[in-house]
Amino acid sequence: MEDARKEEILKNLAEAVVEFEEDTAREWAQIALDEGMDAFEAIMDGLAAGMETVGDLYDRQEYFVPELLMSADALYAGLDILKPHIKQDAVKKMGQVVIGTVQGDVHDIGKNIIKLMFEVGGFDVHDLGRDVPLEKFVEEQLKTDAEIVAMSAMMTTTMVGMKKVIEMIKAKNPKVAIMLGGAPVTQDVAELWGADGYAESAGNAVQEAIKMISQLRKLQEQE
Amino acid sequence: MSELTPKERVVRLFKREPIDTMPCFSGMGMVAIQAINEMGIRFAEVHTSAENLARSAMLTAEMFGFDAVVIPYDMCTVPEALGRGVSLYDGAEDILYPTVPTKWSDPDDVEIPEDFLNRGRMPMVDEAFEILKSKIGDNLAIGGWVLGPFTMAGQVYELDLLLKGVRKDRERIEAFLSKMTDLVIKVARHYQAIGVDYMNIREMGSGSDLLSPKVWKTVIQPNLVRIFETLEIPTINHICGSTDLIIEMMNECGADALSVDQKNNVAESRKKLGSDVLLLGNFDPYGTLVTGDVGDVEPVIKKCIDDGVDAVWPGCDLWPEMKGENIEAYVQTVRKYGTQASPAVGRL
Repeated sequence: MEDARKEEILKNLAEAVVEFEEDTAREWAQIALDEGMDAFEAIMDGLAAGMETVGDLYDRQEYFVPELLMSADALYAGLDILKPHIKQDAVKKMGQVVIGTVQGDVHDIGKNIIKLMFEVGGFDVHDLGRDVPLEKFVEEQLKTDAEIVAMSAMMTTTMVGMKKVIEMIKAKNPKVAIMLGGAPVTQDVAELWGADGYAESAGNAVQEAIKMISQLRKLQEQE
Repeated sequence: MSELTPKERVVRLFKREPIDTMPCFSGMGMVAIQAINEMGIRFAEVHTSAENLARSAMLTAEMFGFDAVVIPYDMCTVPEALGRGVSLYDGAEDILYPTVPTKWSDPDDVEIPEDFLNRGRMPMVDEAFEILKSKIGDNLAIGGWVLGPFTMAGQVYELDLLLKGVRKDRERIEAFLSKMTDLVIKVARHYQAIGVDYMNIREMGSGSDLLSPKVWKTVIQPNLVRIFETLEIPTINHICGSTDLIIEMMNECGADALSVDQKNNVAESRKKLGSDVLLLGNFDPYGTLVTGDVGDVEPVIKKCIDDGVDAVWPGCDLWPEMKGENIEAYVQTVRKYGTQASPAVGRL
């Protein structure tokens, strides 16, 4: 495939996400496959690149949560077509993530966006859903041996539960990377409780997830 | 200086009449674990008994010298009365506020029973208000609150669908929000009839972290205007999260006061609004009273006053597990610096 054509396909995939065009995302995902583009490349450099732009637009207050959610829908539309065609040997298995919203919190928008980014990044995601009892995170991590546990709380009132989960998990397995998300979570809270990453807004979560995924990828390359 | 009762102080503040000193109160839950512990109950037991609800509010106010009591503490009483049920977390060791277990997935399915004010825990809350009135109603102010229509909608209908619907399914969502507005008006007027001294409408889920100012103006504002038009008692328009971009539009809604949280730049807002508007806010209750050191409380509270609030309000519910000494420092700081006139309210 010529570079110019490849650029065009990637640009259209990214734009479909930015413009929340689900049909267009599906269409260009199919074109990418038909013309022999690597599926993982189309996801990361097309769809995910678009989502990264959306995160920027959100942080600049040009986009808000409705736009973020519609972009996520467009991303899913493209992802559904491309994902079955990812060459397993071409992509090193990224690992596993246990994700959920802590007990007492039924808000799961931020969690679902992060989940999507991990799926895009090639992770196996174990989604525990919302209002998840704290010990469930620990059990699921032990059961799956997941490298990452991602927890979200939208309200201050439930955020404190995350501290307990971090303590329980780190006591059993200090190598697990913990990611916290949600409006009340600050850098101070994340550091104080020994989390490895945090995101306070959905836009910021997209960047944070991408950052975390690329860091993990570098670590794997070194091994 | 003549001494006012806490209730007089609060009521006069809302009328922008001179007061002796700034009242220390809120329009959100303000219950302290110290009161819950003294009662010998668990937090989970406070939401289902009129006696516990009223007593915990009174005891907290008494222990720390607040000028008002505010009930209920959780945001599920109305959704529960509409038939959504409630998760009370009876068995949880920690403090967890009740949540709504399941939501509608189609706004057209949402029905408001004629007698919803008699369902679920609504009568229990009424009874708690009656207890408060009879026991402290001459002395302390009694505050009521209801979620705003958009936030209420998000409590009974899947939030992601609601948010996307604002863009993709506008007509249907607007009709749904209008229905939610009727509901909010009914609840707020009901508490007005019971005799609360002020009514806080908490449209928490509508700040600029979630919705654009443009959507706020077209979708949120008209419903808030309609609510404030129908209430005769003092009203507060409270929104948490990012409000710098919408503070002037909040002021157009017709409430007697505006309340914002720590994300608002109050000094700037005061400039935009002028000195006649009652502005309440804006400290972070969790960071200041739960995790912060006692020495850090005074500067935080003083900054709210220096920035130009007319009464120091927490940005959200007081999280019950506060440090006692921090609450004391908060109240003392309000008393210490609250003797000076605020932008909209003079002193006797």
